Amino acid sequence: MIKVVRTLAVAAILSAAAFAFSGCKVSIPTQPAGSLKDAPNVTFKDLQGKDVALSSYKGKVVLLNFWGTWCEPCQHEIPILIDMQNKYASRGFTLLGAATNDEVPTVDKYIHTTQFNVGGKEMPMNYPIVMGSDDISTQFGGLLGMPTSFLITRDGKIYKRYIGALDQVQAQVLKDVESQL
Amino acid sequence: MKTMMRFAHVLALSAIFLISAARTARAQETAAVPPKPSDIVSTKTYVSFDPVPRGKEFQAAVVVKINTGYHMNSHKPSDSYLIPTTVTPQLPAGFTMAGEPSYPAGKNEKFPFSPDKPLNVYTGSVTFRMKLTADDKAALGKTSIPVTLRFQACNLSACLPPVKIPLTLEVSVAEAGKAGKPVNPEIFPPKPTS
Repeated sequence: MIKVVRTLAVAAILSAAAFAFSGCKVSIPTQPAGSLKDAPNVTFKDLQGKDVALSSYKGKVVLLNFWGTWCEPCQHEIPILIDMQNKYASRGFTLLGAATNDEVPTVDKYIHTTQFNVGGKEMPMNYPIVMGSDDISTQFGGLLGMPTSFLITRDGKIYKRYIGALDQVQAQVLKDVESQL
Repeated sequence: MKTMMRFAHVLALSAIFLISAARTARAQETAAVPPKPSDIVSTKTYVSFDPVPRGKEFQAAVVVKINTGYHMNSHKPSDSYLIPTTVTPQLPAGFTMAGEPSYPAGKNEKFPFSPDKPLNVYTGSVTFRMKLTADDKAALGKTSIPVTLRFQACNLSACLPPVKIPLTLEVSVAEAGKAGKPVNPEIFPPKPTS
């Protein structure tokens, strides 16, 4: 009898541990439907100074990518983002790049003069770019590093957060995006 | 029976502890706090003389220790979009600087996010030096010279926004002709006499 109780106790503790620490990864784990948090109601400025509300993208799956022209890992993942935009835009997906800790002229020059090698072809950034800010970063819970991306569902909820260059988790990101399309 | 009750007790306590630890961890993740500059670097400033007689050139140094796992762009980064590390003194009246601060050369290193293109970076400990002079308009006694260290650091997968850290050089100025004592020889080793 004691043996059975002991086994059950160990199993219960291990299960509790597994449940407890399953969420302690760098990116936020997928949460069950219905418990996802709303994305903050933020408004960016585009490079012409016009307001771009994140809510205006409701109905689309959005990968909101906080990046900076000064950030090498951010530059490194741009070919992946261009490729995703090419692949999924027709299925109700968009990338939204939020340049953070940057100046408009620098960003403007960067996006209009820089070409990226996407599968052997030189391509420019092909998705909307807006300006981020410290306030917006804070509303997203504070950015631990750049790049940081948030996958937002069609109804405006945060599905997942990815910290660091996406090339290191590319397969998972594509799987996550496809699960929302 | 008593043993079984004890087990049940331990089991319940363990489960409560683990679940509450996880909740804390999740709450901390939700309210993520970006690393502070002090989590990435520690800094110390030095001058080569104490006191510094008016009219005598002296050296100042900013020593930056970069924590393991981080690097910062050198003063001459590999790409024009990358932010160089700079040290900028705000000299009060009576102080002048000879030329620009001197920056050590960075090291070319490859990172997982830049496997083909090496980046010119600082890691470990790095010392920036300045040659300063207090002229006859410099106030006698103790003076604090503000210095701004600007850098942009990354770890192996992500970067932190560029930051400016305010530092202070503490200088004591004496009358011209007074003997100044060389200090901090570990930073300013005496020149070998031939």
